[in-house]
Amino acid sequence: MVVPACRDGRAHSVREVGLFPMKIVVCVKQVPDTESEKALRPEDLTLDREAVDAVMNEMDEFAVEEALQLAERTGGEVTVLLMGPEQGADTIRKALSMGADRALHVVDDALRGSDAVATSAVLAAALREVGFDLVLLGCEASDARTSLVPAMLAERLGLPQLTFAQKVETDGTEITVERLTDYGHDVVTARLPALVSVVEKINEPRYPTFKGIMAAKKKPVRTLDLSDLELDATEVGAAGAWSAVDDFTVRPPRAAGELVKDEGEGGRQLVAFLAGRKLV
Amino acid sequence: MSTHPMDTVFVESEEHRALRRAVGDLGRRFGPDYYLTAARTGGRTEELWREAGKLGYLGVNIPREYGGGGSGITELTIVLEELGSVGCPLLMLVVSPAICGSVITRFGTEAQRRRWLPGLADGTRLMAFGITEPDAGSNAHRLTTVARRDGDDWVLTGRKVFVSGVDAADAVLIVGRVADTGGESPQAGRGARLRPALFVVPRDAPGFEYRPIPMELTAPERQFQLFLDEVRLPADALVGDAGAGLGPLFAGLNPERIMAAAFSVGMGRYALRRAVEYARTRQVWDTPIGAHQAVAHPLAQCGIELELARLMTRKAAYLYDAGDDAGAGEAANMAKYAAAEAAVRTVDQAVHTLGGNGLSAEYGVGALLVGSRAARVAPVSREMILNYVAQHTLGLPKSY
Ligand SMILES: Cc1cc2nc3c(=O)[nH]c(=O)nc-3n(C[C@H](O)[C@H](O)[C@H](O)COP(=O)(O)OP(=O)(O)OC[C@H]3O[C@@H](n4cnc5c(N)ncnc54)[C@H](O)[C@@H]3O)c2cc1C
Ligand SMILES: Cc1cc2nc3c(=O)[nH]c(=O)nc-3n(C[C@H](O)[C@H](O)[C@H](O)COP(=O)(O)OP(=O)(O)OC[C@H]3O[C@@H](n4cnc5c(N)ncnc54)[C@H](O)[C@@H]3O)c2cc1C
Repeated sequence: MVVPACRDGRAHSVREVGLFPMKIVVCVKQVPDTESEKALRPEDLTLDREAVDAVMNEMDEFAVEEALQLAERTGGEVTVLLMGPEQGADTIRKALSMGADRALHVVDDALRGSDAVATSAVLAAALREVGFDLVLLGCEASDARTSLVPAMLAERLGLPQLTFAQKVETDGTEITVERLTDYGHDVVTARLPALVSVVEKINEPRYPTFKGIMAAKKKPVRTLDLSDLELDATEVGAAGAWSAVDDFTVRPPRAAGELVKDEGEGGRQLVAFLAGRKLV
Repeated sequence: MSTHPMDTVFVESEEHRALRRAVGDLGRRFGPDYYLTAARTGGRTEELWREAGKLGYLGVNIPREYGGGGSGITELTIVLEELGSVGCPLLMLVVSPAICGSVITRFGTEAQRRRWLPGLADGTRLMAFGITEPDAGSNAHRLTTVARRDGDDWVLTGRKVFVSGVDAADAVLIVGRVADTGGESPQAGRGARLRPALFVVPRDAPGFEYRPIPMELTAPERQFQLFLDEVRLPADALVGDAGAGLGPLFAGLNPERIMAAAFSVGMGRYALRRAVEYARTRQVWDTPIGAHQAVAHPLAQCGIELELARLMTRKAAYLYDAGDDAGAGEAANMAKYAAAEAAVRTVDQAVHTLGGNGLSAEYGVGALLVGSRAARVAPVSREMILNYVAQHTLGLPKSY
């Protein structure tokens, strides 16, 4: 288990002692429903979150599922960590209803407009605060789609990063993942504590059971703000962002697709088309 | 169940919203194509049923000690409505956990509860419900299926029609009648005092036969004619003792009406969404047809009527779950009426909104036409509800 007081970001595992159940923390993000039309607010060029339904980032559902499976196999415990406004409570509750044990919610008005750099700083501080053996998250969020947070977070915490995992095995001391690549997969092994980001191939997220839904409200959710994490408001949010949105345009209508007519060569043409886009 | 009435009826609790979302997500994974394919090819929606059962959605109203969710009909209406709203309703929810589950929970012996409730709760067992007879639909006083005592056994003879889901069921809860006093000849007809009594009849019982009735509905659940020819049942096939009177029967009828209302609301919401999606993008002249008030206003009206029906359904479910059977009776009738009428109008309007596509197999909206009409006649017809309200609520004299 990582010693919580460790402020330099270096993680010290005491798992070797073997006395503690594995502590898994899953970072989840609340995002606008991918089904709904998204828009930026003209005032500050941030996403208009009120105009859309908010849901758990789909990729994070896979991370939650993997955390639950690992915890079931190793007798571990799953904590959900979410940074985001009040309404993020719904997403936390969903993870709890799937079976996570407890949650940590970082809420602070100053966080509005945080970029990946700031987000990773906040999550890192929160992770140090709760302690962990393993951090799991989705490999990207469906709204910003930068895929930056897993790597930044691992750097900040000085953890080995095992990204794009399509399979995870751990004995509680070491962790081995199949890392999805263009050519197939690599097998990567690290010692715990470590950080793993997952891809959709890894599992099939469960639906919450009725009992899980009824139990979720009774599970502990701790709320923290920036001062609890000893972070400065100027380092985060729009104020501390390293990137800024200057302008935006509506996505142009999709160009007409390429029509393949099968006149004996259809199969070949399809494969050539897919290969041209590196899809096969 | 929430502790404050306002929470339960007007504002949904967090758990209820989470349940809606979870059930909707599961339903969307299967979706209308799954449902329609099963309906059109003589299949069943078993995979969805099984999955929903494993997740505890089918047995939310069954007590916890018998493997259920320990909540009520309120939660079960949420499950049915949400599945319907994404185009794959499970009709047997109305029957198996709602009617049979409620009757056995409230009037079954401990042994009957242990035998049936866990399976009804997790969906591994299914029980159909048979009350309607060729000459006794709206008028249940005319029931002629009769049970005669023979030693410890019961011997059941009669006929039932339109019983849903018998092919998939392990047993059918049959409403028959028994003689009031031991001495009287248990024959149907004038003079004999015969009380309704409910029997669990296993589908494979000797003398029990079932035949499908060809229906015009596009649904995976089929309706059957039942022939009971001297079906011999053990003493404990009877649910509630022979003197229990109408109690056991009525314990099932309120949940049935409330769930029928949820079925219609779900179907209506699905049809409305399909119509709105279509009207938003379909352009006949320069604007989407949804901009024309001739298209928009009827859809808005449907939205209002569905929401009102839904509210009444929640009220009925709330009263039932709170143990107010009498209050629930009136509300359940009103909810069932309002929901069926709203669904009939919404499906009709949706079909029309889609123009020719509304009647095509591809869009699957026309497929709802007969189903929406079925809810106007079953489980209790529009007129019988109007009779009830006229007499009981308004105090008008009876015509029949
Ligand atoms: C899809 C479907 C599924 C069903 N599933 C089941 C099931 O699982 N189990 C089961 O037991 N039954 C089932 N039924 C049967 C259903 O409950 C009956 O069809 C319903 O109760 C009406 O009875 P009936 O068909 O005999 O109509 P009738 O009683 O013959 O009524 C015919 C018409 O006359 C009207 N009418 C009758 N009496 C009056 C009056 N006094 N005043 C004014 N109008 C009157 C009715 O409103 C109706 O419009 C199902 C029916 C359908 C369509
Ligand atoms: C069984 C059947 C048989 C058919 N047979 C033939 C045939 O033999 N030959 C043939 O050519 N066609 C045939 N048709 C097609 C039929 O004529 C068209 O479906 C009909 O003209 C409607 O056109 P649409 O389906 O494109 O609907 P749309 O034009 O898309 O209309 C959709 C909805 O929008 C409404 N709407 C559209 N514009 C307005 C407006 N300005 N103001 C208010 N409301 C509006 C319509 O009333 C309708 O409710 C058939 C259709 C069916 C269902």
